[in-house]
Amino acid sequence: MSSGRGFWPSVRPAFTLYLPVTPFVFFALFPLYFMLVTSLKKNAELYDVNAAPFLIRKGVTFGHYALLSTDTLFWTWFVNSLLVSVGATVISVVIGVLAAYPLARLRFPGATSFGVAIFITYLVPPSLLFLPLASVVNRLGLSDSLWALVVTYPTFLVPFCTWLLMGYFRTVPKEIEECAMLDGCNRVQTLWRILLPVAVPGVICAGLFAFTLSWNEFLYALVFVSPAELKTMTVGVFSELIRGDIYYWGGLMAGACIGSLPIVIAYVFFLDYYVTGLTAGAVK
Amino acid sequence: MPTVHAESVPRVRGVSRRQFLRVTGAGATGLGAVLASGRAPAIAQTRELTFLTIASFVPDTDKELKRQFEEWGAKNKVKVRLDIIAHLQLQTKKAAEVQARSGHDLTALGPGLGDADLYYDYLADLNDIAGDVAPKNGGWLSPNDYLIRGKWKLLPWWQPPFPMAVRTDLLEQLGEKSPDTWEDWLRIGKKGKAIGHPFGTAMGHSGDANVTLLSILWSYGGSYVAKDGNRITINSKETRQAMEFVKRLYTEAMDPEVLAWDDSSNNRCLNAGKCIAIHNPISAYESAKKDKVLVPGTQKEIAEVIDHIHTPRGPVDRKATTGFWCVGVWNFSKNIDLAKDFLRYHFQPENQNKWVEAGHGFNMPFLQNLTKHAVYKSDKQYRFIPEVAKVTVPPSWPGPTSAASQQVWDLYIVPDMFAQHATGKMTADQAIAWAEKEMQEIYAGRKKRP
Repeated sequence: MSSGRGFWPSVRPAFTLYLPVTPFVFFALFPLYFMLVTSLKKNAELYDVNAAPFLIRKGVTFGHYALLSTDTLFWTWFVNSLLVSVGATVISVVIGVLAAYPLARLRFPGATSFGVAIFITYLVPPSLLFLPLASVVNRLGLSDSLWALVVTYPTFLVPFCTWLLMGYFRTVPKEIEECAMLDGCNRVQTLWRILLPVAVPGVICAGLFAFTLSWNEFLYALVFVSPAELKTMTVGVFSELIRGDIYYWGGLMAGACIGSLPIVIAYVFFLDYYVTGLTAGAVK
Repeated sequence: MPTVHAESVPRVRGVSRRQFLRVTGAGATGLGAVLASGRAPAIAQTRELTFLTIASFVPDTDKELKRQFEEWGAKNKVKVRLDIIAHLQLQTKKAAEVQARSGHDLTALGPGLGDADLYYDYLADLNDIAGDVAPKNGGWLSPNDYLIRGKWKLLPWWQPPFPMAVRTDLLEQLGEKSPDTWEDWLRIGKKGKAIGHPFGTAMGHSGDANVTLLSILWSYGGSYVAKDGNRITINSKETRQAMEFVKRLYTEAMDPEVLAWDDSSNNRCLNAGKCIAIHNPISAYESAKKDKVLVPGTQKEIAEVIDHIHTPRGPVDRKATTGFWCVGVWNFSKNIDLAKDFLRYHFQPENQNKWVEAGHGFNMPFLQNLTKHAVYKSDKQYRFIPEVAKVTVPPSWPGPTSAASQQVWDLYIVPDMFAQHATGKMTADQAIAWAEKEMQEIYAGRKKRP
């Protein structure tokens, strides 16, 4: 009897946790797996319509990765993506914090409407915005430079960061800020010394989202930057590896695999903060 | 006490106060003017010419273009920059450059001549260049097709003619020789499908679908717009015959996957050893040769059993179309004269010859002499390409190219019409009525470009 009671608790998680989660994990990881498998297949196998699409049967090749490194400016594009994403993320999170704090804490006429208006701007699709933004970028003299992207990405990052941080700031008790003010802190000091240290998960969550959105962005990077050496990874890979009606699937997937790594690494390191930041506003 | 004259005031290192003020004043004024204009003075300006083009499927084509561009730049002391993007990105890039009235000086245009009408107000006139280029190269193939509103707003640059790419070993296995008509391909496709090797042509939203289905429509005597460019002619018995043929081709000779094909799918089908034939430029063959793709289950390279033959004829005619890739100069460019000068250079016979050779004949110029280029005799695979070019017409044929015809192409009205009937979703009359209404609205200007 006792051994039976001991057995069930030990295997119960397999049925109540791991088994139900398995389909979701499979669903989430399948694209990554398929990218990896495709990037390692030889061209002959990629062409073979009778080959098993999810397995490598005719040997592994690293030729597609070599092609990326030797025949394209892939690593330059990778660095460009990194510079733009980090720059745009830092700018957006800083502006987001400064915008979210008054909207979450201060009472002034139209505060709620401002908050909603900021969120609505996030809903305007980039496919509509890129045309007027092209004129703006040109007038600022930023065309064909990475600054064009660092400046335009916050147009969709700042509303999102602000909205996310507003929700997070509201979960932080006002009382601790009031105590700080009683002790002589002004608003800026309260924000810097009291609220931000408490709101680190929210800030990291906003930063992660902003970085991911910047890293994956395609349209603005295509429109505002033309020289090959200034392209970001998303545009560069697409430009070089789709030639007319020939798609270099192995190279495209190799680029996608390498391109996924920074995002995967960032999420692995900050996953706990990310979950806390996302769910903070859910329970009051 | 002696009078002190101005001339006797000691000078500092030979510069008088008046001279100092004059020089610094002029300098400040000049600097202010430069800053206000936002442009460097002419003496300090480096002339730069930029060119936006699409990635050719034969990378050597782009390398040769770059070489010519740099060579021209070095001769003329002009800094040059060639930017290459995927063809699918060109529409977006053009729209943004026109909106900002800024961007590249030279730009690829297309696919199709319709860009000349769509961007008529933003393209520089190229009448002089077109006139210079033609006599040196034996003349343009069909100059009247390229004139938009009576002007050369672009230069037709290159086309990839659409022959039939066929598997000779499978034809032999089926006992078929010299297929030449669309009916022949229905028969062969039917037999091929029975042994696991169907015919393949895209029927979804792709350029290849537009090309092949328009070719079939014309070959059966149909068209969608009259020569006057106003009257929609899609509702005809010839269109019905073409639709009945395509329905049989789809159901009896092809797999349903063709409805979801993009431009690369038919290449893959042929090179995978599945399709018995596809209607396509030589790109599939070239990539099979480069990648040394084998016939499944054998050690034989598939390129060795691929051949290219004439685009099929129908009961009435033999016609085909293709992507008409063009080049133009934005009229908001600050370097229009330089851009024209480079075009003159690029269209010199020797440069065109080298460029066509680099592209293995894939990029055929719209110039008489270049259709007889030696490259088309260098490989028996290319022998029919000049013949196909002779029967290739713009997609709006027999109507003129216009913004509306470009929209009919971009919205895939013709492929959708054929597919709706072929899949049984609509009767032929319903599909034609739908297409006719769409086209009438487009030509009446009630539908905006997507």
